[in-house]
Parts: sequence; structure tokens; C-alpha cells
Amino acid sequence: MNLLFSVVIGALFASGVYLLLRGDLFRVVAGIVLVSNAASLTLMASGLTRGQAPILPLDEGRGLADPLVQAMTLTALVIGFAVTAVLLALSLGVYRSGRSLDLGDMTRREAEEAAEREAGELAQDVEAPEEATL
Amino acid sequence: MDELPPPTPPAGGDQVIAGPDGPEDAARPQTGGFGPSAAGAIAAAVLALVALGILWADGGGSIDEPWAPAWDLRLSFALDGLAALYGLLAAGVGALVFTYASAYVPRHLAADGRPREDEARLHAAMVLFLVAMVGLVTSEDLILLFVFWDLTAIASWLLIGFDRRRREARLSALMAMLVTTVTAVLILIGILMLRAEYGTTQLPELLRVAEPSTTVTVACALIAIGALAKSAQVPLHFWLPRAMAAPTPVSAYLHSAAMVAAGVFLLSRVHPLIALEPGLLDGLIVVGLLSMAVGGVLALAMDGLKQVLAYSTISQYGYVVTMLGVGGAKGAAAACFYVLAHALAKSALFMTAGAVTQATGAKALSATGGLLRKLPLLAAGSAAAAAGIAALPLTIGFFKDELFFAASAQRSTELGVAAVLAAGLTFAYMARFWAGIFLGPLRSPVRAPLERRLVWPIAGLGVLVVLGGIAVAPFAELAGDAATVTNGAPVDLHVAYHLDTRTENLMALGAWSLGLLLLAARPAYVPALAAFARLGERLGPDRLYWVSLRKLNELSDAFHDFEVRDLRSRVSSVIVPASVLVALGVIVTPTGGVYVVGAVERDDLPLVVALATCVFAAISVTIPRQHIALTLTLSGVGFSLATAYALMGGADVALVAVLVETLFALLFFGVFALVPRSVLRREARRRSPDRNRWRDGVVAVASGVIITLVVWSALSRPVPKDGMAERHVALTEVAHAKATVTAILADFRGLDTFVEITVIGVAMLIVMAAVRTRRRA
Repeated sequence: MNLLFSVVIGALFASGVYLLLRGDLFRVVAGIVLVSNAASLTLMASGLTRGQAPILPLDEGRGLADPLVQAMTLTALVIGFAVTAVLLALSLGVYRSGRSLDLGDMTRREAEEAAEREAGELAQDVEAPEEATL
Repeated sequence: MDELPPPTPPAGGDQVIAGPDGPEDAARPQTGGFGPSAAGAIAAAVLALVALGILWADGGGSIDEPWAPAWDLRLSFALDGLAALYGLLAAGVGALVFTYASAYVPRHLAADGRPREDEARLHAAMVLFLVAMVGLVTSEDLILLFVFWDLTAIASWLLIGFDRRRREARLSALMAMLVTTVTAVLILIGILMLRAEYGTTQLPELLRVAEPSTTVTVACALIAIGALAKSAQVPLHFWLPRAMAAPTPVSAYLHSAAMVAAGVFLLSRVHPLIALEPGLLDGLIVVGLLSMAVGGVLALAMDGLKQVLAYSTISQYGYVVTMLGVGGAKGAAAACFYVLAHALAKSALFMTAGAVTQATGAKALSATGGLLRKLPLLAAGSAAAAAGIAALPLTIGFFKDELFFAASAQRSTELGVAAVLAAGLTFAYMARFWAGIFLGPLRSPVRAPLERRLVWPIAGLGVLVVLGGIAVAPFAELAGDAATVTNGAPVDLHVAYHLDTRTENLMALGAWSLGLLLLAARPAYVPALAAFARLGERLGPDRLYWVSLRKLNELSDAFHDFEVRDLRSRVSSVIVPASVLVALGVIVTPTGGVYVVGAVERDDLPLVVALATCVFAAISVTIPRQHIALTLTLSGVGFSLATAYALMGGADVALVAVLVETLFALLFFGVFALVPRSVLRREARRRSPDRNRWRDGVVAVASGVIITLVVWSALSRPVPKDGMAERHVALTEVAHAKATVTAILADFRGLDTFVEITVIGVAMLIVMAAVRTRRRA
């Protein structure tokens, strides 16, 4: 089972990384969801024991699933949900400010703005040269 | 950094150009009176001087308090002979220099158009330096010593960069800071090596147990490099002439009695350790001789008043380093006495340079001359100081050279010859310095009378220098006690005038004649000197410093530009180094027994199916172009995982996972609904180039493989016998609950869960704010 869990976690992580490297913001968010899924499964798989659910009353003679990792996973799932919700809302904000969901577009726009700013500063410099500081 | 270093440094610093202490301020009305901060600084220095003096007369003292017991660090201070010498120098010269500064700094600030209140910054940093210096010299623990060492570097940065509106001052401060703190890291490494070897950083303990070994040699070599950089020894000397950008009181204090003295102090402090390896001592002699030569020759070449003194300091501390290299009772005695004599005389000379500039506006030897009649008291005080450096009889300097000659000649004839040559150089540049200011035709008239506080400290030091030449016993006693610590064995320092033809006297006569000869023949070799100075600028370590600083800056800019280019490069600048590190860890870890495949039983079949579905879904997420399909496959991953959780006995987790996945799907769909369809379609049609997709695929698969290996090795760890599961179940009953996981979350870790709920609440507020923005806009 160790190997099986590891391979599944690896596959989840690899798909997540691939999506993280896409240009589309929503795919990036999906990538983060996959990576956090991989983390949750890692937590669950690291339970010391597996067996019946730790809910009373217990069946005698059957193993018990480790409750601690389950509590951790639960927390991770909920926090992951909150993070993803914020990311989606921010992506929406990004779309609204630039009318595009593509990271390439965003970078290009930033570069253009920076160039404009720089040009503006240069123009100012010509008008009022900085005083010699030495 | 707000500025780049200039591609070529301004020529060796011959600052004939009038800066803030230039002529335009000479005619200004004087800004008299003590500032409160100046009075405080002087009081602090006097207090330190008196306290140290009383303590020392009382036979020393020590403090030993626990500091960080877990690391076996103690706040242990002791006032031994060495600490007394350097501490009294720092406090005594400090008191005089602070007095001088109380008159100098207001004039300096007024000339620079800065408010008088700024002087508090300088005085505060000066006192910080004094405190750091006293702490440094009294530290018994090497870690403690290192802390004070860095504190002096910080204070010196503040002081050298005091004229912070001037680029030159800022760059000089940065240079002094970098050269002394980067090498300070070497000191720390050396200290930690000693600690690793002997388990202590307490110096007395170390001196007792240390034996000759490679570790000790390397550690001492590292400490010595840091110390030599602080004492501005070749080839790490270049920061000192630059640091002359500081206001003159700073130079008078830091570059005569305090900062540069800290370097030779550290060498003296750990001298018994260094002496375990004779090769290190020979290295010290080489560095010392080189510094004497380079400093002496360049002091003869320079024109700027403070530049001459800066190179002179390099040369003079070269003497001390050479003496420490010679070692033994004679070497230690000569080194300690030399520091004492030099500090008194050199700070007086620095203050003379500042006073002359304040009076006439001239900053270079070529612009001064004939001030003997105009400023007689200043001339007398600085004459005594200059004679002290030049080692004329009836000054304390005569004895410093006597000890120096004796130790050198005893070591070897070659060293004796080198000593005479160096002393000749010193005589020549000192005579040139003093005569250039006070003799000859009057070049710059006195425009502003000097306040008493600008002259009297110099006269006071001059008196001390002469006093030391007449009644040398107390000075010799102080230096002898210091030498005892350095030598690690009792040193009997006894000096007196002998009117006979012993070697030292002959060597002194030789040095003076050589000095006069050098002075007389100076016009003949001035072009050679200038060529040497230019060569140093072009190929010297100073140049290397600027080039490496610029390259480092470019490298950092390149990294930064790459990292902030877009989200992808931000993500990869985290993932790639992290993966490489993890992969390296996986590769170097031995694999025997690390990977356990683990048994798959018949009951596990449903779980295997659920996990297989999960993998299938995960890979499928990467394929669809439509956003709806993307979301649905993502939900597929989530729901198959929820099934797996349920099959692993995690009923609660499975329930939450189903809930969260449902909300995910709704959230994604909701956000899609807020983006026009045409945009989503455009994004879906957009295809990144095949080359990128292949590259990203390779990165993804590689990171997946690494994660697999890491998780596999983690899961393969043997299971401890005493898990917490039974205990948790037992406690569940106590908590009147049925589900253990719920009990853990709500009862055992209730506060944790409460914070988690808060996080959700905040996240939802952010989402609301972000989604609503459009309605207002």
C-alpha cells in the first residue's frame, strides 16, 4: 500500500504542477486544488493504523483507523477550501482589472505600464535634473 | 541599494576640492556652546575613563552571568591588562576627541546646511562605539566578543556615513562596513570551529586546553584575517583611506585609537592560540611588512592631509602586526607599547588636520604652509605628536621604536634592516606632514579663529606624548601588563634612555638619517610614487572590490527581474530550487530498507479502485480545454478521494470532503458565470506552444517522481508500537462524544478549530469584497 499511496500522491502533485504552469488563471487555481489534495492524501496515508472508523461503539477484534491524522486532514481540507475561494475571487478581480485571464497578457501589460512610467520619469528628469549629491 | 558604485573610484582621495569643511564655511560665524548631546558624550567617556582607571588600579575585576545556558554562553567580562590598555585608550582618547567634536561638528553641520540637532546622531554613534569597544576588550567569551565586534562595525558605518547626503560618504561607509563585516563572518566561523573542537567559547578555558592541530590553525587563520581587515592591513587596507570621508573627529577616534585598534587587539587577545602554529606568525610578519611598505610609501605620495594620516595608520599598524608576528616577550611588549604610543599621537594629528581645515579651508599639503606663527599652540601640540610618530627622543615614540628595533634585530638581521627602512619612511612622511602645514610660505590665510576646544585636546595629547618621553614608567607598566596577557607569560617591560652605541640607538640614528635623505631626495622620486599610487588604483584590491560589488549587484538584479517577471517564474523559482534540494537529499540517502512496498490485502480492493480512479481523474484534469469540463474532472478527483477516505476509515473526513468538493464546484461555476462567455471561450481556444507544454510536462513528471519517492520513504518508516489511537478513543468517552475525530477537533483541539473557523470567516469576507467590487465600480 505504501507504494500505491505514493504513486497516487505523485500523480496528483504532477498534474497540479502542470496546471500551475499554465497561462490561464483558473487552471492555476485548479492546480493549487490538486496540490492541496495531494497534501491531504499524504496526511491521511500517514496514519499509523488503518481499520474501522474511530466511532463508538467499536467492533471488537478489528483494527482502528488513526483518528489523529483524520483530524489533521479535516483541518487541511477546510483551510484549503478557504484558500481556493480567495484565489478564485482574486482571479475574478484580475479579470476585471485587465479583461483577460491570461498570465502572458498580464505580464505584457505590466511591462508596458512600467515602460510608460519610466518614460514619464525620464521626461521629468530632463525638465528638472537631479541635483549633484557629491 | 540606492546607488551603484562608480565604475572607477575617484582618484586616491586627494580631496583638495573643498567639501563641507571647505573654505566657504571658514568665514561663517561660529556656532559656539556645548550641545546637550556633546556634553553627554563627554561625560560618558570621562565616566568610562574614571571607572576603568579605578577598577584597574584596584587590580581589575570581572563579571560572569549566565546568558544562554542551553548553548553554554555566559556574559563574562574581565578587566585584565590587555583590556585595561585598550579600554583606557578608547575612553581617554574618546574624552578628548568628543570634546573636540563638540566644537567641530556644529561648524561642520552649518557648512553642510544641516540643522545643529544632527550632531546628536554623531555623538550617539560615538558613544555606541565607545561602549562596543569597552565591551569588546573586556569580553572573556568569544561569541560575546563577536557581538561587540559587529557592534563596532555598525557604529562605524553610522559614523563614516554621517554626511549621508554625500554619495562619497555613503559609499565609503558601505565599503568599511562590507570589508569589516564580511571578514567578521570568517571570525565567527573560526570561533565556531574552536567551539566544535573544544566545546567552549570561553577564552581562558580555550587557552588552557588548546593544542596544536589543523583545526586550531585554520580557525586562528580565519580569526586573523578578520582582525587584519579591521586593522586595515594589506591587501584589505583600501577601506581606510576611503573612510576619510568621515568628519574629522570620527577619523581621529576610529582610525587611531578604536576601530583599527580593535583588529590588533583581537590578534593580541588570541595570540597564545595563534602562536601554536609558527607558520601563522610568519604570515603576520609578511602582512605587517607589506602594510608598512605600502602604507609608508603612499603616505609619502599623498597630498590630502587626512590621506597622509590614513596611509600612515596602515603603516603604523603594520608595525604592530609585525611585532605580534615576532611574538615572544619582546614582540608582545613592543606591540602593546606601540599601540599606546601611536593612538595618543595619531589622534592628535587627525585633529590637527581637521583644525587646520577649519581655520583655513585647505585640505591638502599643497594648499597649506606657514601656519606656525598663526596657530602656535596647534603647531606645538602637533609637533609633539608628529615627533612621537617619528620616534624622536623626549617623546613616548622614541621608546616604541626602541622596543620595535630590539625585537626586530633579535629576530633576524633582515627584519632589523626592514625595521630601519620602515622607520625611515615614517620619519620622512611625518616630517613632510608637519613641515608642510606649519613651515614654509603662508599659502592659505587663517580665515576663522579656532575655538579653544579645537586646539586644547591636541595640546593635551601633545603633553601626554612628551610626558611619556620623560616619565615613561606608568605607560610602560600599562603596556607591560597588556603584553603579559598577549604573551601568555609574564613580560618585564623596561625602557629607558641609554647614551651608548647599542644596536637600538644605532638603528634609530640610521632611521633618522634615512628619513632626512628621503625627504631631501623627494622631488627625484615623486613621479615613481605617483605611478605606484595610480597602479594601486587601477589594479589594486580597491578596484576588485568595486568590480565584485557591481557584479554582485547585477546578479541580484538579474535574479530579481527573473523572479518577478510573471507568476510562472515566481512559482518555478520556488519549486525548482526546492525540488533540486529534495532530489539531492533523495540521491544521497542510502536506499537500503528505506522503501517498503507494503502489503495489499483482499479487503483493500475497493480502496485500490478508488485511488486508481483518482489518478485517472487527476491526469484527466490536465486535458480538457473547456472550463466546465475542467471543473467537472476536478470534482471527479475530489469525490474519488472522498471515497478513498471513507474506505480508509475516515467517515468524518469523507463527509467534509464531499461537502467541500460540492462547494468547490459551485464556486468555480459561480465565478465562471461572472466572466463573459466570450472570454472563457477565448481562454479555452488559446493554446500554449507545444514546446512549452512539453517542457511543463517534463517538469511536472519530474516533480511528481520526486514527491513519490519522498512520500514513499516517509510512509515506509516503521510504525511505532505505542500510537495514540487507543488513548484518543478512551478520551472520547470521557468527553461524552461518539466520534473520536469530532472529539479531537471540538474538545481536545477546540481553540485550534476556533481559529480555523475565523480563517474561514475572513476568507469569506475577502471573497465578498472581491466579488462586490464591480457593483460599485
